[in-house]
Amino acid sequence: MRRTLGTLLLLVSMYIKSQMEYRGAFWLDRLAQIVSYGAVLLGMWILLQKFQLLGGWNWPELALLFSFQLLAYALGASVSFTQLRNLDDLVRLGTLDALLTKPINTWAYLIFSGLNIGYAGHIILAIPVLVWALLAAQVSWSIGTALFFVGSLLSAMSVTGAVITMIGATAMIWVRSNHLFAIFFGFWELTRYPLNIFPAGIQAVMLTIVPLAYISAVPVAVLLDKPVPLLGDFAWLAALLAGPLLTLIAIAHWRYAMSRYQGAGG
Amino acid sequence: MSAYTAFVRSGFLTSLAYRNEVWANIFGKLVQVFARVAIWLAVYAGVTAVDRISIGDMITYALLGGVVMGATRYDRIIRHVGTALKTGDVAVWLLKPVHYPLYLLSIEAGASAYTFLLAVVPTIVIVALVYGMHPPASLFHGVMFVAYCGLSFIIHFLCAAIFGVLAFWLMTIFSLEWLLQSLISLLSGLLIPFWFFPEPFGSIASHQPLAWLVYYPSAVWLGRLDIMQTLLYFGFGIAWAGLLTLTLTLLWRRAASRITVQGG
Repeated sequence: MRRTLGTLLLLVSMYIKSQMEYRGAFWLDRLAQIVSYGAVLLGMWILLQKFQLLGGWNWPELALLFSFQLLAYALGASVSFTQLRNLDDLVRLGTLDALLTKPINTWAYLIFSGLNIGYAGHIILAIPVLVWALLAAQVSWSIGTALFFVGSLLSAMSVTGAVITMIGATAMIWVRSNHLFAIFFGFWELTRYPLNIFPAGIQAVMLTIVPLAYISAVPVAVLLDKPVPLLGDFAWLAALLAGPLLTLIAIAHWRYAMSRYQGAGG
Repeated sequence: MSAYTAFVRSGFLTSLAYRNEVWANIFGKLVQVFARVAIWLAVYAGVTAVDRISIGDMITYALLGGVVMGATRYDRIIRHVGTALKTGDVAVWLLKPVHYPLYLLSIEAGASAYTFLLAVVPTIVIVALVYGMHPPASLFHGVMFVAYCGLSFIIHFLCAAIFGVLAFWLMTIFSLEWLLQSLISLLSGLLIPFWFFPEPFGSIASHQPLAWLVYYPSAVWLGRLDIMQTLLYFGFGIAWAGLLTLTLTLLWRRAASRITVQGG
């Protein structure tokens, strides 16, 4: 166990070192991401200057929703997205076969050998906006609220990682699964907005089949004491349990996909 | 010329080979267009008109944004240049008797035609059937909308190609792609039309080239511009396209003379 942990740490440090070899390009990329998400936030601000409310949410509340979503996504995707998006290529080219022969857990190797520190840009933007929004949105703080905030953020991060893992692992069954990310990001963009503004069908999908509402809309609505469609009084519990439950499902799906893998490259 | 026609065909047929991706894209776009409409319904919150713009106008605007921006993909153009630079393929293109930017335009035209026919049109029809959509303000505005769409494609391509060629100096496409994304999301009018921008930002935004991507085609359809204004702004758009073509040509000439091939 200790040896495995040492190996994983070594993989992480090697990857970070390789990324930081091109320090200028690395920070330029982060700046570009900050500008890009900043533009989305600015767009929301312009809209709220004109209309004041979006589905009953004001500007600080929407900024809280945006920053919570960005932070949860960055934390979850850094341990899943780029690594598992590449799994599609590894399967197609047959490179995965070589990884399977390594004396280390394949998932752990994939994740830690490509731990994406590139999400630093998301985090650099998300944290100050989140702090400002938490102060401005008038959250009624208590020990319970604080614990819920931390717990729901961890849960949201797990939801992101679990859903991306399931999409990535599907490549071991279908060979190609990257197109599913187009659907993922279609729904992911909706998580910047309150759930109650969408038609009932989309609400139901985002709480069940594509459970991305737990990344932001559900936990932030609970924090702000706003009603959550379909979940009602159970929203806080669902927000906390979604992460652990989806992680278990993702583990089962990964194992199933590994058992179905037959190789596609040559 | 026949070579470029073949590239257009190739772009169309290559897209045809990845049907699952097209279906996933249709679904993704459908969700996004539904979401944009939902956002406008939520901000209007029962109010019939804001600044003489009705909720029906805004639903139509959201759908038209999907029409004009749904098919062309700036990221595909930038990545094409990035991959050619990384693999060294760009050196091969310099040896061929074709102009690389025109090759890119042809490939993108083929791929865009495919996405437009098989992804954009069905998406818009479905959403229009659900929410309803205003017809063009007049026959003249309808015809001019088609012309503006063509201009939108050209300006979209030119901006993406200019950002792609900048990779010859920066040696990375990642930041270029994200920067263009931020500019398009805010300054094309895709998310918010400029008539809702605070002044003087609205006036400034409506005179930069990205405004011709979504804002002007949609404004023409809705009849927000009279006949003279429609023709005048079409002329301005052509002038921007000319200036961008000149910029791309000059950049490409300089890039081709300083090329460093990394792959091979």
